[in-house]
Amino acid sequence: MLTDPGYLFVQFLNGLQFSMLLFLLSVGLSVTFGLMNFVNLAHGALYACGAFIGYSIAVWTGSFWAAFLLAPLAVCVIGAVLYGVLIRQVRSAGPLTQVLLTFGLIFIFLDAFRVIWGDLALGVSAPTLLATNIHIFGQTYPLYRLFLIALGLAVYLILWLALERTNIGAMVRASVDNAEMASCLGVNVERLFFAVFCTGCLLAGLAGVAAAPIFSVYPGMDLEILIPTLIVVVIGGLGSLKGAIVGSLLIGMLQTFGQVLIPQLAGSLSYILLGATLILRPEGLFPARAH
Amino acid sequence: MYYPSKLRSAVAALLFVAGIVAAFQAGYFGKEILVEIALYALLALSLDFLAGFGGMVSLGHAAFYGIGGYAYVIMTMEAGVPPLAAMALALVPCFAAGWLLGIVTSKVRGIFYIMATLAFGQMIYVFTFQNRMLGGSDGVAGVPRIDLTAIGIDMNDPSIFACAVVVATGLVYLVFSRILTSSFGRTLVGLHRNENRMRALGLSVRWYKAMASGLAGTAAGFAGTIAAQHTMFVSPGMMDWTTSGEVLIMVILGGLETLIGPVVGAAFVVLLKHEISEFTNHWHFFIGVFLIVAILAGGRGLYGSLEAGVARLTRRKSEREQEPGKTTAQKNPEAGNA
Amino acid sequence: MLEVVELSKAFGALRVTNNVSFRLEKGERRVVLGPNGAGKTTLFNLLTGELSPDSGRINIDGVTVNQMLPNERVRLGLGRSFQKNNLFDGLTVGESLRLALAIKRQKTFSLWRDGTRDAGIVERAEEIAGMVGLTSQIDVSCDALSYGARRQLEVGLALASEPKVLLMDEPTSGVGPDMTDAFTAMVGGLPRDLTILIIEHDLDVAFDIADSVTVLNFGKVVFDGTPEAARTSREVREIYLGDWAGDA
Repeated sequence: MLTDPGYLFVQFLNGLQFSMLLFLLSVGLSVTFGLMNFVNLAHGALYACGAFIGYSIAVWTGSFWAAFLLAPLAVCVIGAVLYGVLIRQVRSAGPLTQVLLTFGLIFIFLDAFRVIWGDLALGVSAPTLLATNIHIFGQTYPLYRLFLIALGLAVYLILWLALERTNIGAMVRASVDNAEMASCLGVNVERLFFAVFCTGCLLAGLAGVAAAPIFSVYPGMDLEILIPTLIVVVIGGLGSLKGAIVGSLLIGMLQTFGQVLIPQLAGSLSYILLGATLILRPEGLFPARAH
Repeated sequence: MYYPSKLRSAVAALLFVAGIVAAFQAGYFGKEILVEIALYALLALSLDFLAGFGGMVSLGHAAFYGIGGYAYVIMTMEAGVPPLAAMALALVPCFAAGWLLGIVTSKVRGIFYIMATLAFGQMIYVFTFQNRMLGGSDGVAGVPRIDLTAIGIDMNDPSIFACAVVVATGLVYLVFSRILTSSFGRTLVGLHRNENRMRALGLSVRWYKAMASGLAGTAAGFAGTIAAQHTMFVSPGMMDWTTSGEVLIMVILGGLETLIGPVVGAAFVVLLKHEISEFTNHWHFFIGVFLIVAILAGGRGLYGSLEAGVARLTRRKSEREQEPGKTTAQKNPEAGNA
Repeated sequence: MLEVVELSKAFGALRVTNNVSFRLEKGERRVVLGPNGAGKTTLFNLLTGELSPDSGRINIDGVTVNQMLPNERVRLGLGRSFQKNNLFDGLTVGESLRLALAIKRQKTFSLWRDGTRDAGIVERAEEIAGMVGLTSQIDVSCDALSYGARRQLEVGLALASEPKVLLMDEPTSGVGPDMTDAFTAMVGGLPRDLTILIIEHDLDVAFDIADSVTVLNFGKVVFDGTPEAARTSREVREIYLGDWAGDA
């Protein structure tokens, strides 16, 4: 089985698809992290928000695409409210305060999901357009998963263009590198941070609704994805798009192929990688900041 | 710097007496809750030692709880070590693991330290979860308790057991209180305040971090050996990172860097959990709200606020007694917690 | 007591420390002067061990310390103060000094006894507080001190590591003329057998304190002699005057 190229190719696609999901989540977290040293453990909860809200929209309208477009916006609004009410107040506090505050949010979201949507896993079906299988190397593969891969790559491309080719992108890069300097040059770092934070929430919501047809929707899904996302952020290096994509591919592939090749160790592999990174290269693989 | 002030000692004594009384007066369920409080108190006070005084905020503390529990189980059930000896021997791997973690992470700071300890904890958790020899996700049941019938103590009596756990918690509290007033404790606080300066004064920083991490791990492991005997069962669930997070919440809600505060926090959270469970099973929600309110209110926590209030009162009193203008920023070391 | 022999350090093509040599006898007070960018801070970091030299030697009391870590050099008798205050906020003046003394006297190991309360250490901490003019504030928390007092404690902490050689990095940076005079008086009051090396940009401070002066420019020693000779040296004035005039 392990020598069957078709099987390995399918695994490769699975790894790629998981990587893209991780990328959508980690990129926003990484840039808010790098921009203001802000740690948001509730990022996973926003992902779950996207999935739950997406589920409800899909049920009401009967259209997955409506959910796909509206749920990320709703999550973005939730993020903006959280920012205004809570996060702004602890933004310059130490990591302990931020970790605890966002940990408290995890608890609150967890029970909110249970109360509103119940304890059971909810299924979301893929849109009819994509709900078919295609044949590659004699294997069948769901078209929806390929769509998810394409979505991740498209978001990467858009973000890359936005960061490298626009004024706002230049401001973000300058502020990540040295917020004090950027603010001296007239960049409103505060507003920029808010914008980046909201974009991160939007992408987390997008990841949630996009993942719903594959993993289904249930309370606790946020905690499951949170840890691999944090690992990606630290391994990739804070605040860098390149770090987020490389880290996502690394962890996505490691987990997928780890499960196939060495199942006993698969669970520990990414933690070992994280530990090694923190000890040997604490700033991550591609840190955006020089120091 | 840590000082066992009168207020701290009074609160500690009060909690201890309340624990002993509850061990004999409370009903069966009350005794269960009491032991749960004591176990969390051990975890919380040792985490306060590491995070509050030492500045090493760990999200992997529950791993030591598990290592202690599993080490006790392996020694008693696989190696045939007598339970009492196993309890002591089980502390060795806990200290060793904590010490190693401390050495390896000695240059890692802030959020990266949090991530490193999270990774460490999850590694131990996943390893245990996937290891068939350790019972995998099912854990191990039928764990023996220590046998003290030779000196006339029956550990299978719930009152005696609860009482013993309270006494053990009190002893660990005293030990940590003593360590914090020792040279090592002073050095640890200095490291937290300014690691760079400590190095410039000639200190080999990492040995001290390793020792602090080892000691905190030992205390958490000790709690693990008790937990294993309490429920006569161990499972990977006791090492989940959310357990570490909950302990951190207790530390904050009680009062960081006060040592007794986290014990108050443990009692508060466990009691609240059970009270809320009476009418809803959404206790996470309320703990989350409490936590956020406590942080926005300044993050001193319950006991920390009490201490700050008492300090303000005594300062006002001494200002009234002295000539006005002469009491600038004089600090009363008995009341201060720095 | 402190000997620097042909010390060099380059960052890329830039030779920041270029063949620097000088020696301090026991009890000598030497000031290293130089305009901004002359390589003063690099020299300081080479001495403390934050940086390691490309070539040359540093001897403390006859022992070559090139390969030693900063904390090992401290144990050998090299104490330092920082250009920016680097204190223990939350600890009182007395607690900070006692802690520093305990580290130097290797009394930080015990998990049971409080070595920082040993009679010898408590007395010495009070003495040092007296030397830097903080006796009345010994129980005040560091973060409640005025900037000037924090500056004094900065030197106090360096003294508490009980050095044979005391290195001070711009000790008067950021304080006004009154404080500068007080600082000069304080250094004058330190035990005469303490060897002191001060990195300074303020020429007046240097001339008041120093037995000898080293002037650096572009990483090279351009003058080595008495303050009087430095004052009248045309070389020194030419190199230093632009910056000097700018400072004044």
